[in-house]
Amino acid sequence: MSIHELMFYLFSGMILLFSVLTVTSRRILRAAVYLLFVLVSTAGIYFMLNYQFLAAVQLTLYAGGIVVLIIFSILLTSHISQKFEPLGVKKMVFSALAVAAGALLSIMTILDFGFDTVVTTSQNPDMELIGTSLLSYEKNGYVLPFEVISVLLLAAMVASIVIAKKEKSK
Amino acid sequence: MLSEIPLSYFLVVSTLMFFIGIYGFLTRKNLITILMAVELILNSVNINFVAFNRYLFPDQLEGHFFSLFIIAVAAAEAAVAIAIIISVYRRYSNIDVERVDTMKF
Amino acid sequence: MKFDIYDLGSFTSSFDQLLMENFSPFWAVAIEMVIIGIAILAFYAVVGLYLVYAERKVCAFMQCRVGPNRVGPYGFFQTIADLIKLLMKELIPIKNADKLLFNIAPFIVIIASFMAIAAIPFAKGLHAIDFNIGIFYIMAVSSMGVVGILIAGWASNNKYSMIGAMRSGAQIVSYELSVGLSLVTIVVLAGSLQLSTIVEGQRDGWFLFTGHIPAVIAFLVFLVAATAETNRGPFDLAEAESELTAGFHTEYSGIKFAFFFLAEYMNMFIVASIAATIFLGGWMPFHVGGWEAFNNIMDYLPPVFWYIGKTAFIIFIMMWFKWTFPRLRIDQLLTLEWKYLLPINLVNILVMAFVVLMGWHF
Repeated sequence: MSIHELMFYLFSGMILLFSVLTVTSRRILRAAVYLLFVLVSTAGIYFMLNYQFLAAVQLTLYAGGIVVLIIFSILLTSHISQKFEPLGVKKMVFSALAVAAGALLSIMTILDFGFDTVVTTSQNPDMELIGTSLLSYEKNGYVLPFEVISVLLLAAMVASIVIAKKEKSK
Repeated sequence: MLSEIPLSYFLVVSTLMFFIGIYGFLTRKNLITILMAVELILNSVNINFVAFNRYLFPDQLEGHFFSLFIIAVAAAEAAVAIAIIISVYRRYSNIDVERVDTMKF
Repeated sequence: MKFDIYDLGSFTSSFDQLLMENFSPFWAVAIEMVIIGIAILAFYAVVGLYLVYAERKVCAFMQCRVGPNRVGPYGFFQTIADLIKLLMKELIPIKNADKLLFNIAPFIVIIASFMAIAAIPFAKGLHAIDFNIGIFYIMAVSSMGVVGILIAGWASNNKYSMIGAMRSGAQIVSYELSVGLSLVTIVVLAGSLQLSTIVEGQRDGWFLFTGHIPAVIAFLVFLVAATAETNRGPFDLAEAESELTAGFHTEYSGIKFAFFFLAEYMNMFIVASIAATIFLGGWMPFHVGGWEAFNNIMDYLPPVFWYIGKTAFIIFIMMWFKWTFPRLRIDQLLTLEWKYLLPINLVNILVMAFVVLMGWHF
């Protein structure tokens, strides 16, 4: 067993275990903490695939940004003594069936399809390449999505401030 | 080396994660937990993109950049969703999707 | 195996070769990981303890007192005695707390700071991982610590803890922006995120001096924002004793409290070493471009001492802040960040980019 395999099984095991716990835990903040573990293990998978920049973005934005935001809103809207009611058997069984059918179908398709994988060079793209291709408008340049994302982020920022702002008392 | 792990293993993990997210989306009632399920779904898609990039086109960076953009979109989406959740909480003083049933005040 | 204090890289690489020859690659990597883990753990404990001692001595110096002076010479073993006391204290279980989260929280905080230490260059060649994205990695992992603080406050089921956690969460999240942006200013000047390249780039003078005014502004902003991000000094309103008892760690006792305490001091150490590495050249001796004789004299002091000296200097400044300024209110704190530091920083990056573009730096 090589170190890559060990890391893969460790991280994917953590991902699966904690994502199940995220959607089934009956205490809301525990679910958020399990979500944090899922996201950190995903960053581990990116480190393993040698995309270090992406992994660090995953840690900063997901683990340090989105999860903190979610935990903040939990702190504002819930109380520690709250627990979700257990699910109705009917709802649980039917959702599980639908999900299992979908998962089975997709996994069978994946395993049937032979991907012609290249022998990977496993090289980490260096920061200069990432930076220049984000701002280049030639082939393999991503300046258009980059600019669209920046406009989207601005719009989201304005929107969230307007929505969450307290209405003036009349 | 990396070639000891077939590509399909990554895809199986991300598929399972995607459907676990869908299960959460179907069964949860609290708005914040629904948001968490959506984050799981987005994350599983990211794993797919990155694995495809590494295994099928290792000398290009399409999958890498699309994962970056998905993460940015996810951040924007989470910010707006949480703003909506806070303002729903202010009006109904709970965030259960089944109790938020009035169209307009 | 030769040991050269001026260049530890030859020592570490020959050690690596020795392991690679005698073991299979898997076990060689595993053994290296264990050794580095133990080394960092020991370093963590020793530095954490002696920072507490240093803080008490500096505080005493500021207030014209003597400080700890009973246990050992100059009270040198005081903090070890404190640690033993903390270890023997009872761990009080809270009846209405969320037990799982209550127990996880200190570990999240301490793991976040532990992961950041791995990427810091202590001397030439003494560097656990030299990431391509070094400085960004440190920012990324240290941003996870706030999750531990937030869940510690919530899981304690206590309103003071909750208020403390909310305050400290808001504070850390907003000051992280300033820390990141002031580092980006120097990254623009250095042209790299890799810490070894950044240190090498300061061979002809530290970035604080070669980067003109924008580098000095970035350094000042970094000092303020980093003090705030570690919940210290005049910004420690998350644990304001007089109003919130102790903030998010009110309910913790014994070794779990010690974890929070250690993590706070280690975060200060990490921030100080980032400042030393990015602005003051890390382990690079004080060089002036072109003055060969002067540079050679400076090279006599081994790099690791330069690193320790600079870090200690930054830590002393941060302690000085803590014992001289009065505590800010929460609204003043947020005003300082969002209305002053952030706009200054954004303009500063533009100025720095312009300076680099025109080649005006040294």
